[in-house]
Amino acid sequence: MADPNTDCIPGPLDQMPERLETLLHIENVGKEFPMNDGSTFVALKDFTLEIQNIKNKPQIVSLLGPSGSGKTTALRIIAGLDKPTSGSVLITNGAEHQLRPVRVGDVGVVFQRYPLFEDLNVLHNLIDPAVRSGMSKEKAKDKALRLLDEFDLVKQGLAWPLQLSGGQRQRVAILQQLMLDRHFIILDEPFSGLDPVNILNVIKLISNIAHQHTLNTFLIITHDVTSALIISDHLYLLGRERDAGGVPQQGSKVMKQYDLIAEGLAYRSDIEDLPRFSEIRKEIRLVEFPKL
Amino acid sequence: METSAKSPATIASDSGYPLREMVRVYGAVGGFARSHIVIGWIVLFLLVWFFNPIKAMPYPGEVLTAFQRMWNAPGSSGLVYNVYVTLKLNLVGVLISSVLSLVISYLAVIPLFQPFNKFVQWLRYIPIVGFNLVFLTLFAIGWPMKVAMLTTGMSFFLVTSMTGVIVGIPQMKYELARVLGYNDWHVFYSVVVRPTLPAMIDMIAQNAAMGWVMITAIETFNRTEGGIGSQIYAYTSTNQLAEVYAYLLIIGVIAVLEDGLLSLIKRVLFPYSLVAERA
Repeated sequence: MADPNTDCIPGPLDQMPERLETLLHIENVGKEFPMNDGSTFVALKDFTLEIQNIKNKPQIVSLLGPSGSGKTTALRIIAGLDKPTSGSVLITNGAEHQLRPVRVGDVGVVFQRYPLFEDLNVLHNLIDPAVRSGMSKEKAKDKALRLLDEFDLVKQGLAWPLQLSGGQRQRVAILQQLMLDRHFIILDEPFSGLDPVNILNVIKLISNIAHQHTLNTFLIITHDVTSALIISDHLYLLGRERDAGGVPQQGSKVMKQYDLIAEGLAYRSDIEDLPRFSEIRKEIRLVEFPKL
Repeated sequence: METSAKSPATIASDSGYPLREMVRVYGAVGGFARSHIVIGWIVLFLLVWFFNPIKAMPYPGEVLTAFQRMWNAPGSSGLVYNVYVTLKLNLVGVLISSVLSLVISYLAVIPLFQPFNKFVQWLRYIPIVGFNLVFLTLFAIGWPMKVAMLTTGMSFFLVTSMTGVIVGIPQMKYELARVLGYNDWHVFYSVVVRPTLPAMIDMIAQNAAMGWVMITAIETFNRTEGGIGSQIYAYTSTNQLAEVYAYLLIIGVIAVLEDGLLSLIKRVLFPYSLVAERA
């Protein structure tokens, strides 16, 4: 039976949702890389971002930015793959509602090219991580089969990853992360290289998965403004400040954020018909992006 | 192991003229045409052999007669005995050097062992005879010394090839395992060892071929037990070239069989490698 306090309610909400505890807190993160000539390249500087648990809704947040704006660096730091030079990334594991420094493995990542274990078939690509995380083989197999069934991949269960189409591979990569019962997943450029129909399919897929639990939090790293606006409840623009002469300074940070819940654009299937959607999209594309 | 050029589907196109396709870059050649190409090359080889103008090279009939003489030769100068001695040495050498090299190569992912791995790779530049004195001190002349020389010589090259496979693992594979919560041991097994085993078999096959080159040199140096190498040396010194070529043919046949066997093992144990080859 659905619990109205913890389970997701599909579709638009009647009133502004209640914002609960903080799930991810990124504060003043900086990341510098030493260069061959002895100088330092500043990829991120004072990068700050917070994601809060929204009652009865999952969290889908997009981090938008042009190429070279530090999106991948941010992803790696949030996932715990790289340590920031300064600042901190705190995350809650959901159950305890207590923030602690992120560790690699806390956050699921669906990488851009959807790497999988090529030497394992699809079913075992799902079972293997779950078993290594301590789940029994039987339980892992049951869960994997359920997920494959739910996401229309049963026929591909015994296929090798190299035999999958791009879309199937993406779904398997997402399911692999779902096997571990983690609520926080980063998707790196999930719309990259897809045609409009498949972009909509991916948006539906992410939304469906996200709505399975109110603590589910998806951070989407992308430069696709339209898709990010359609799927997200919050949108952050990552870029570099410019000096008076218009020269970009070193170190990217969040330059602007959009609360799409407050804008009345979140959780709606007819979002593309709304004038505000077009306004924001135009603003980002023509005004904000060129400044980043 | 022999490698064959793949036909990228994007490039290949069937013009409808098989002969034209045979000479095009990645021409779309079917199985029937491919078998004819192979037969054509065999016929060409035989023609060159039958009518070759080089007097030093024995004709096929002479080699066939040499086979007969070698087959009928008694005891340790016989064909079966010498092939057995060399084949045994080859198999033992391949087995030991493969295990040793796998261990040294896989340990290269651990920083502590990386300098040792580099050192072993560097040793491939040193002629194997440079180690003779060391081997003479450590091993008895005969079988143990031959095994030691072959194993050591092959391992230097195997470690180089195998480490190349490990270095080629994309960083993203490690990161996938890390974000899935794998510990060091799981990463090592799931990213480094398990997926590279088919490529390691390829490396073993390549170096097994190199092993045959070393074997003949080692058996020439150490002739106490006989073997193909010592026989080739003996027949060369008495100018019995038909016998030499007969043994070279045997080496060729054994090498092809060994290649096929390793390829079969790879396909049976790691069926996905077949998919990867076709991809």
